[in-house]
Amino acid sequence: MPENALELVDVQKSFGPLDVLRGVSLSVPAAGCYGLVGDNGAGKSTLLKILSGVHPRDDGEIRIMGKPVDFQSALDARLAGIEMIYQDLALAEELDAASNVFLGREQYRGWKYPPFRWLDHKRMHKEAAAVLQSVGSKLSTNRQVKWLSGGERQLVAVARALEFDPSILLMDEPTAALSIEKVNEVNRLINRLKERGVAMILVSHRFTDLIQVADTIGVLVHGRIVDEFEVADQTTDEMTTRIVRLMGEADAGVPQ
Amino acid sequence: MSEPSASPSDEPEEQQAHHANFATRAGSWLRETISDVGPGLFIILAIEIVVFRFLTPYFFTISNFFAIGKRMAITGIMAAGETIVIIAGGFDLSVGSVAAAASTGAAYVLERTGAGMLGGVATALGIGLLVGLVNGAVTGYGRINPLITTLGTLAIVRGVAFVMTNNRQIDVKNPIFRQLGKGFTRESWDFVIPYSVLFLIGVFLLFGFIIPRYRFGRYMYAIGSNERAASLAGVRVNRWKLVFFGVCGMLAGMAGLINAFQLVTVAPSYNSGDELEVITAVILGGASLLGGRGRLLGTFLGLFFISTLLNGLILTGVSSFYQRIATGASLILAVLFDEWRRSRISRH
Repeated sequence: MPENALELVDVQKSFGPLDVLRGVSLSVPAAGCYGLVGDNGAGKSTLLKILSGVHPRDDGEIRIMGKPVDFQSALDARLAGIEMIYQDLALAEELDAASNVFLGREQYRGWKYPPFRWLDHKRMHKEAAAVLQSVGSKLSTNRQVKWLSGGERQLVAVARALEFDPSILLMDEPTAALSIEKVNEVNRLINRLKERGVAMILVSHRFTDLIQVADTIGVLVHGRIVDEFEVADQTTDEMTTRIVRLMGEADAGVPQ
Repeated sequence: MSEPSASPSDEPEEQQAHHANFATRAGSWLRETISDVGPGLFIILAIEIVVFRFLTPYFFTISNFFAIGKRMAITGIMAAGETIVIIAGGFDLSVGSVAAAASTGAAYVLERTGAGMLGGVATALGIGLLVGLVNGAVTGYGRINPLITTLGTLAIVRGVAFVMTNNRQIDVKNPIFRQLGKGFTRESWDFVIPYSVLFLIGVFLLFGFIIPRYRFGRYMYAIGSNERAASLAGVRVNRWKLVFFGVCGMLAGMAGLINAFQLVTVAPSYNSGDELEVITAVILGGASLLGGRGRLLGTFLGLFFISTLLNGLILTGVSSFYQRIATGASLILAVLFDEWRRSRISRH
């Protein structure tokens, strides 16, 4: 049995009196894709923020390749091999594509320590162009992000996540702002990433997009996973009925 | 950074430019610079120079340009720091107060303690650095709007300078200070190169060298452009704010020091209102108050425009009171022109 790339055991988080996550456990195998469905306020974003090191968790355990981890910052999570693609993509508009790909982890040349090392623009542009090409884009790395289209921006964000060979990729609402045509592009990309062996957690309230790419679906309601099933075992109709019923109960305020 | 007006059609050309020869690179650098700074400033600057050139024979001489440079030096060094803070998404109103506190502080230490020239220099730069770090800490870790923070330190720092000196002028007698306030010349020259101009150029060259080559410059644009994105990417934003505000404060301290070099006496009331000229120059130079956008060279030219205006008005015998009116009007016109142009280019 292969080890899980990512494992969460009873992760809890509250903000003041508000219990946002009330014990979430899930696991994602390498090259697996876990789709997390839930309404606004179910705790999806909080879960992702804990995994990407933005918020500390209150309780529970997170394991990467079987090893427990404890993130103090977003950089810790990135160094542990977790990359996150935010819904708004979190790009610096005034910087060019290459600078965004390497933001926070610039490449240097020269001697080891500042001021004797300086930014290696040539190498960063070359590598950024290569990683963009690997996701099928010929985008010029010299262009400022503010002049890029929505799809091109998404590719820059994806390239930034992939540049450092993450073992785990988190995507928050990757398709929320995209047209149907673009959604198919993103889905192709996700399948490509699976082939590379990247484990993924996709969060969305559009479960119809999720079931096209996810292997496992978890339904998050009021900070707890109330249902989990394999996509391959179900027909689309069955899944739709299941999810709609659970979300409907959540809407009606029925506690689980 | 790539040229903002780039359209998809000239994309391959741009990619080639990355490896192209020096002339092509210099050409694209110039295009980018004019585009970033905004052609508005270049146009009014050209008009200004041509008009004064024909109005007075004294204007277009080497010695007059050094006179303009000397006038620029103090606010120019402050403006370099202000540019850094504004590009990083901040704002610093305290630069004039810091300069005054630094020059009086340096003179005070020289007079009271018998410390040598280095003691005076360290005092001025130290005061600047200290205030800058406080500004950075309060805006970063304290999450207070930089406008409020530095409006507070503007008052506090000047107040402390008044209290310490009891609003008394202090003579600057240190011979090295007196010497550095002058300049050098040769027998065959009919002009003097003021040392202050060399300091000014040195500061701009230093940061012009640092910004494209080090994280300092990269993070300055990144934090100003999208602070949250920088933070999520692992950039320690608050620590960098300390750096940017610290540098700005230290440069304001250096400006105060040069004031102490040049003036026979210094007083805590000096340099008040300088922050307005400094910020005008930065904005005139194409920096955005929203952060993320700006160029040191733009600031330099913006200040050159303001200083040339004052100089030209004096040479042509027009009351220098008109300088304020003309500066304010050109600020609004240049920014209006660039906004109008930007809205035409922008397809968003």
